[in-house]
Amino acid sequence: MNDKKSHNRNKTILIILLAIILISFAVILSLLLSRPGERQDESKTTNGVVGTITDNWDPGVSQPENSGGSKKGTQIPGYSSAEMKEGDMSLKLRVGNPKENTVGIFATVKLSDGTVLYTSPLLKPGQGLDEIPLNQTLSKGTYDAMVYYQCVLLDEEQTPLNAAESAFTLIVN
Amino acid sequence: MKTKKIITLALAAAMVSASALSVSAGTLTETNTTGQTEVTARIDGTTPVPGDVTYVITIPDVVDFGTLTQPENTDKDSFKDVPYSVSLTEVNNLDVATQKIAVYVRDQNASVGNSDFKITNKADSTKSFTYDIYDVLPENITATKQSINANSMTQAAGYKLCDFTTQGDAVDGTLRLNQTQLCGYDIADIVGDYSGYMVFLSTIENA
Repeated sequence: MNDKKSHNRNKTILIILLAIILISFAVILSLLLSRPGERQDESKTTNGVVGTITDNWDPGVSQPENSGGSKKGTQIPGYSSAEMKEGDMSLKLRVGNPKENTVGIFATVKLSDGTVLYTSPLLKPGQGLDEIPLNQTLSKGTYDAMVYYQCVLLDEEQTPLNAAESAFTLIVN
Repeated sequence: MKTKKIITLALAAAMVSASALSVSAGTLTETNTTGQTEVTARIDGTTPVPGDVTYVITIPDVVDFGTLTQPENTDKDSFKDVPYSVSLTEVNNLDVATQKIAVYVRDQNASVGNSDFKITNKADSTKSFTYDIYDVLPENITATKQSINANSMTQAAGYKLCDFTTQGDAVDGTLRLNQTQLCGYDIADIVGDYSGYMVFLSTIENA
């Protein structure tokens, strides 16, 4: 009789422990799945990652309400300078297609001698990068550089439109 | 005895689960390689931050003269004018006392010594017509007003169009094509779609 009681008690304890283990696994699983930064939609990307094209890119220049932003045409970002260290294979340069535009843009970063440092894929309005990967690094010095913005229609043929060049000084320390 | 062993194993499994939780909380992943939280901030000042956008200009999308007509009278100019606008839409941290934003323009295929602005037949690139660029609207083009491309282009950047310093600065100008160029052709030889592209170069220069 006592053996049967003891057996039943042990069985109960075992069931409780198994329940605790199952609950523990469930809690761990839910915590892992809800951890921020690991369940991002693939279309949403992280700012500041080299070569990563972000949606909702903004030039970050002050724009008072009375600015002429509504004028017809294509907005092109311009720069004064950019800096990198010798040996770096990336460059902090905010390259993008302002969201106010209705055209696509291919951006090419190059030196005045024609050396191409970076070519972007098609950037739709609102897409851009904060830091670009480079095809090659550069030696210490000061270079004349530019971003060549080729505007295209957002059609299948990507029909070319007018283009723009934003010249800037590239300093390699 | 057997029950005790099972209980011991179950407790061990529970402890392993708990420790796994605490270890995984600090696990580094491909997207979180340091385990640190990035704190970002922007400080607006008078010194431009290298790599940031300093200004935004607005350029015309396309050169579009619409439908051209072969004039009957070859002795009289037959201008087709298209207004355009280039403006400084946004600007930040520009020292206007010492700096300006200079804007140059050229044809996409232009070079020093070969600087005509052209529209070219899409099906036959040997057929093309030239046009001129003015920095004033059509109604302000006088007989003595020169186009900005009246002389040969002397620098690869293109023809100087304007200088900007203040947000809202703009050039409202005119693209002018003289349709007398179409005279002398059999219309069947030149019919078709034409396109031409301009390149606008902007750069910060000393004022």
